[in-house]
Amino acid sequence: MKLLMTITITALISINMAYAGDIVGTVKATGTKDSGNAIIFLEKVEGKTFAPPTDHAVMNQKNLTFIPHVLPILAGTTVDFQNNDDVLHNVFTPDKCADNFNLGTWPKGQIRSFTFKNAGCRPVMLCKVHPEMQGFVVVLETPYFAVSNKDGSYAIKNVPPGTYTISIWHEKLKGASAKITVPGTGNLTQDFEIKK
Amino acid sequence: MKSPSPVVLSVILLACLSLLVQETQAIPSFARKYKTSCSTCHYAFPKLNGFGKAFKNNGYRYPADQDLEMTKEEPVSLGADAYKKVWPNAIWPSDIPGTAPIALNAIGRFHYDNAVNNRKSGYFEIPSVFDIFYGGTLGDKISYFGEVELTRTADVEYQFAVNYDFKPGFHLKLGSVGLEDATPDHLTLTAEDYNVGSLQNQSGTWQLTDGAGGGMELWGAGNGPGGKGGFTYKVGIGNGQSDENNFDLNKKKDVYGRVTYKIGGLGEIGGTTGQASEQSAFYLDNSLRFGGFVYSGTAISDSTNDKFSVIGGDIDWWFQRLNMTAVVMQMKSKYLSTNRTSLAWFVEGNYVIYPWLIARTRYEYTDPDTNDNSNQVANNILPGIVVMLRANVRLSMEYLKPLDKSRKADDRVTIQFNLAF
Repeated sequence: MKLLMTITITALISINMAYAGDIVGTVKATGTKDSGNAIIFLEKVEGKTFAPPTDHAVMNQKNLTFIPHVLPILAGTTVDFQNNDDVLHNVFTPDKCADNFNLGTWPKGQIRSFTFKNAGCRPVMLCKVHPEMQGFVVVLETPYFAVSNKDGSYAIKNVPPGTYTISIWHEKLKGASAKITVPGTGNLTQDFEIKK
Repeated sequence: MKSPSPVVLSVILLACLSLLVQETQAIPSFARKYKTSCSTCHYAFPKLNGFGKAFKNNGYRYPADQDLEMTKEEPVSLGADAYKKVWPNAIWPSDIPGTAPIALNAIGRFHYDNAVNNRKSGYFEIPSVFDIFYGGTLGDKISYFGEVELTRTADVEYQFAVNYDFKPGFHLKLGSVGLEDATPDHLTLTAEDYNVGSLQNQSGTWQLTDGAGGGMELWGAGNGPGGKGGFTYKVGIGNGQSDENNFDLNKKKDVYGRVTYKIGGLGEIGGTTGQASEQSAFYLDNSLRFGGFVYSGTAISDSTNDKFSVIGGDIDWWFQRLNMTAVVMQMKSKYLSTNRTSLAWFVEGNYVIYPWLIARTRYEYTDPDTNDNSNQVANNILPGIVVMLRANVRLSMEYLKPLDKSRKADDRVTIQFNLAF
């Protein structure tokens, strides 16, 4: 019986993987320096939940900047904040959806972590020592997301076939959404134009 | 026509300021070079925080040899680094800043006092002071800092010094030297001078904040155990001051020295070792620093020497949002066969209510001649607030209240705004 279940699950996963496709496209951002750092993601899929990864996501503090500047994660993911400068850094957020956390100060090379539980939360990451520093964690309900490159290109890999709502988020520009159907074979192209 | 009241004038001033603030876009030269906020180095400009002092102690460089990677404004090379291998058959390589390392500080004031016709009245002093600062590094061993100050009365004051930075523990400075940083005078957040800094010798030709004129200084700093706190020192020799264009007219040189030791807090030359904390803010640096200083000089006035010496000490205590500073200084001065001993001290507290709002109070005591009971001793208390409208725009309000009955009518209010860009 156990063997049969294992074979069945493996077969289902194989079928699913066989039909997984990529969503690709280009973001054209107006009113910003370039078209990078937009997050394109699939909204909640009804009837489906996704377990957060055991591996931690990472946001570094290097040369007085948060790297990456925007970090999309699945709800429940733990993010490690690492100080890579030999100056004091801090990470806090004024956003309630992330419990207004304040991780204090820690030396170079050390890490402090926080688990982001609330999907839909877009908390800004700030440093109380360097007011110019700013980063964003974008907490999502599915693991299907991508960050646009400076030229606007993006790709969400291995999306199972089906109908979804795809959305885009940008820290300064208005978001947008669209209904899409990922085919059983081949890629789907979905472009976005966003502005203030 | 009835004159508008000081309150109305203050409101008008604030309204004008708010318009100015909207147009303020620029930032000073170090902020431009590293693309970081003024708050990285300043408690509230120009008063330095722990990191700002560490930056200065590294020869205006980022601590822990990070300057190159932290510099976001690309310098212009004056020779490839590999030319060091070619020396002495080539000029030692260096660089200059990508943009002119100049910063400006404009100061305007509103006074309410009895300075005009000995009657209380309010009046504007805008502009009051305009400072041109220039500072930066030339390669990895040379740094410089200077200032040209233009005042409303058309006075021009200037200073400039260049450092050869062997390492944070040992710098050689040439140029304008002195003990001006023995008090936080030049870093004051409000308009009223510190009494210690402006106490003059008998001939009125020397005061602590004007430094020792042109000269040479050895100075340095180092971290204490565990990377916290640490020491600073300086010893120097200078022309001293006189009434002739700040050049010494006698053959004697002024000499001075200063040492400090800081317990706890950020290391004097920075780094993050041992600095883990649950709290974090640019204005926090829980620490206690002691300092002592001496100065001996001969100033000249009307062809007569004024021989004087100074000894003093200071405490700088930072605890959470509170910063307490106390400085005491005794001066002995011999001029026209008259010996005089003066004493001045003050205690000041600053409290950060919000990162942009600081409440402060100072008590100061000045006795120009401790052996002359008829001489007027000054006891003043100076409450005030400082509002950081932006990281580079400061508004301060201060009230000087004499505690001596004979000077009761000399109380005054000063509102000051600073724009640094």
